Amino acid sequence: MKNEYLPYKVTIASIQKESFDTNTYKVVFDDEKTRDSFDYRQGQFAEISILGVGEAPISITSSPSRKGYLEFSIRAAGSLTNKIHEMKVGDSLYVRGPYGNSFPYEETKGKNIYFIAGGIGLPPLRSLINMTMDNRSDFGHIKILYGSKTPDELCFKQELDEWKKVENTEVWLIVDKPCDGWGCSIGVVTELWKDTDIHPKNAVAFVCGPPIMIKFVVQKLTQSGFKDKDIIMTLERYMKCGIGKCGHCNVGEKFVCVDGPVFTYEEIKKIPSREKVI
Amino acid sequence: MKLKKILQKDVEKLLGEAAKKWQTYVPSKNDEGDTLFAILPKEKDELEKALQRVNLKDDWVAISPKEIFFPQVENMFSFDKERITEEIETSKKLIFGIRPCDLKGVLFADEFFKRNLEDIYYLSRIEDRLIVTIGCNTPPRKEACFCTSANTGPFAKEGFDLELVDAGNYYLVEVGSVKGEEFINLYSAFFEDAGDDEAEKLNSIESDAKEAINVKVDFDKALEIMKGDKDLTENYKRIGERCIYCGGCVYTCPSCTCFNVFDDKLGDNGVRRRNWDTCVFRGYTREASGHNPRDEKWTRTARRYEHKLKYDYSVTGTSGCIACGRCLSSCPVNIGMSKFIEEITTNKRNM
Ligand SMILES: Cc1cc2nc3c(=O)[nH]c(=O)nc-3n(C[C@H](O)[C@H](O)[C@H](O)COP(=O)(O)OP(=O)(O)OC[C@H]3O[C@@H](n4cnc5c(N)ncnc54)[C@H](O)[C@@H]3O)c2cc1C
Ligand code: SF4
Ligand code: FES
Repeated sequence: MKNEYLPYKVTIASIQKESFDTNTYKVVFDDEKTRDSFDYRQGQFAEISILGVGEAPISITSSPSRKGYLEFSIRAAGSLTNKIHEMKVGDSLYVRGPYGNSFPYEETKGKNIYFIAGGIGLPPLRSLINMTMDNRSDFGHIKILYGSKTPDELCFKQELDEWKKVENTEVWLIVDKPCDGWGCSIGVVTELWKDTDIHPKNAVAFVCGPPIMIKFVVQKLTQSGFKDKDIIMTLERYMKCGIGKCGHCNVGEKFVCVDGPVFTYEEIKKIPSREKVI
Repeated sequence: MKLKKILQKDVEKLLGEAAKKWQTYVPSKNDEGDTLFAILPKEKDELEKALQRVNLKDDWVAISPKEIFFPQVENMFSFDKERITEEIETSKKLIFGIRPCDLKGVLFADEFFKRNLEDIYYLSRIEDRLIVTIGCNTPPRKEACFCTSANTGPFAKEGFDLELVDAGNYYLVEVGSVKGEEFINLYSAFFEDAGDDEAEKLNSIESDAKEAINVKVDFDKALEIMKGDKDLTENYKRIGERCIYCGGCVYTCPSCTCFNVFDDKLGDNGVRRRNWDTCVFRGYTREASGHNPRDEKWTRTARRYEHKLKYDYSVTGTSGCIACGRCLSSCPVNIGMSKFIEEITTNKRNM
């Protein structure tokens, strides 16, 4: 029987600053066997820890189509994540996983895709975005709609520029509080509906961000004619074990860590509203 | 195998022998007067003293025996700068004197820890265990036991290796498995065949025992109601007004399995541990952003009842409540599952 709770040592290979509170960490397993056997799918997460400080679930933001390393974009939110932000290239972390279900991939081939993210919601989607970019001809038109409070808080600025240049791909950015020289839209993500066509025909929408943002985006998508099953999102819930045991992420009869974190709006609707999943 | 019997005065000697071979857990009265499962020591004098504390009679075990396999706090692994060392417990265990409802709770937890990804800590602890249940001729928690309503007692029907039934100055012994039979063969000096009329006697003890259960509720109707869409918000809110969210019901519940994980560190050395946690605590779902989906008290009450009576049932086909009555008897403000069931099935307010 495998001990799912045992983490494996990784070394930080590079650190990329995304915004004032978020860094992307590229890590590599010290043990070669673990490196080769860590097979993950787009949308899954891992439990990351510093021994003696604690553990937290973090989405794997690298793409399974790019091998040999893992990437995590981590926002300094509490005791563990702040400690991680003090670390340098060459320092060690511990990782176990991968856990959870994943974004549908094969089923979305041939379709038009909307990626709609708010703030720290882009990292979980980035894994899937890069997978579609690496297999671009398998998909129809792609639109990435991304919003944050300030321009500084937008993650993956360089990649956003690169995705923009890919054929048949659009990137729409919006911020609440612009800075000097901001050339894109101003407002919340749903304001982008005014700027670009959002059309349900042969399309799926992937939505990721804070609960309040998801709520309004889902409303807009539904009004635009998207079916509940074509709206796909990830839920965040306080988690401890990541493997369906500790109970913290249990909503309705679902464990977000095992049955999720990816759910369709169709599934979300079955969860009692008082659970405030979105 | 035929029904067996063992003289009650021989049980102490049997336990004394078994303690040499097994890690033996048996209900024992502690200095404060509470009966809890305790391990019989192997050393002779200590063992003698411990055997005096054994209590198989009508007293109730305050904390459910789930703690034998799922301790209140347990080490998962220790670590230092160089390595991680996992801590797995696999002792050969004899659980002697567990009540039928609690056995249901243990079997429920077994299935839970096997589902999805396996939980190595729990599953290693149950790897080699022998379970001897003891039927309840009278309800140990007179005001709270409601096992006949849920069909979980007063006698066990399956899942035990041996079951004892109090028949006066001896116990009738039902054999439930090959392991149970081997146990009897190993200690054959203590057991004898029961007489031909004893099966009849067992039946009559059982029907008297059923009669003795005072608290009766319509359990099946409650499961039906919970399965449907009936809005019970008002009930949850009212119970939530009274509940002090101490978590006593959850800690004592045989089928509750939630835990928290934390690290303890001194210098370069440390341990990662887990301890019981509960969905009735406010911090249980609080995310690092401060967002807490179950910030309002009543939503935690709703969660607890729905988990036990709705979701456990839809996922496993059996209710998560095994009708032991501990939540009621441990509650400082007199809230409990049997009362909740009574309330939703009869529309009578009782909490
Ligand atoms: C599936 C999933 C994927 C995720 N992906 C990412 C990701 O890609 N990137 C990312 O940055 N984050 C992600 N998160 C969120 C991330 O897990 C949390 O930000 C992280 O757990 C914070 O851990 P921490 O130890 O730093 O915070 P902690 O300090 O441990 O805070 C966590 C908990 O501690 C308690 N707590 C904290 N402060 C207080 C206080 N003042 N008073 C009382 N209690 C308090 C709260 O209960 C809180 O829920 C993800 C979460 C999930 C569930
Ligand atoms: S909910 Fe109450 S009566 Fe039911 S098993 Fe748990 S403690 Fe016992
Ligand atoms: S995180 Fe422990 S059950 Fe989901």
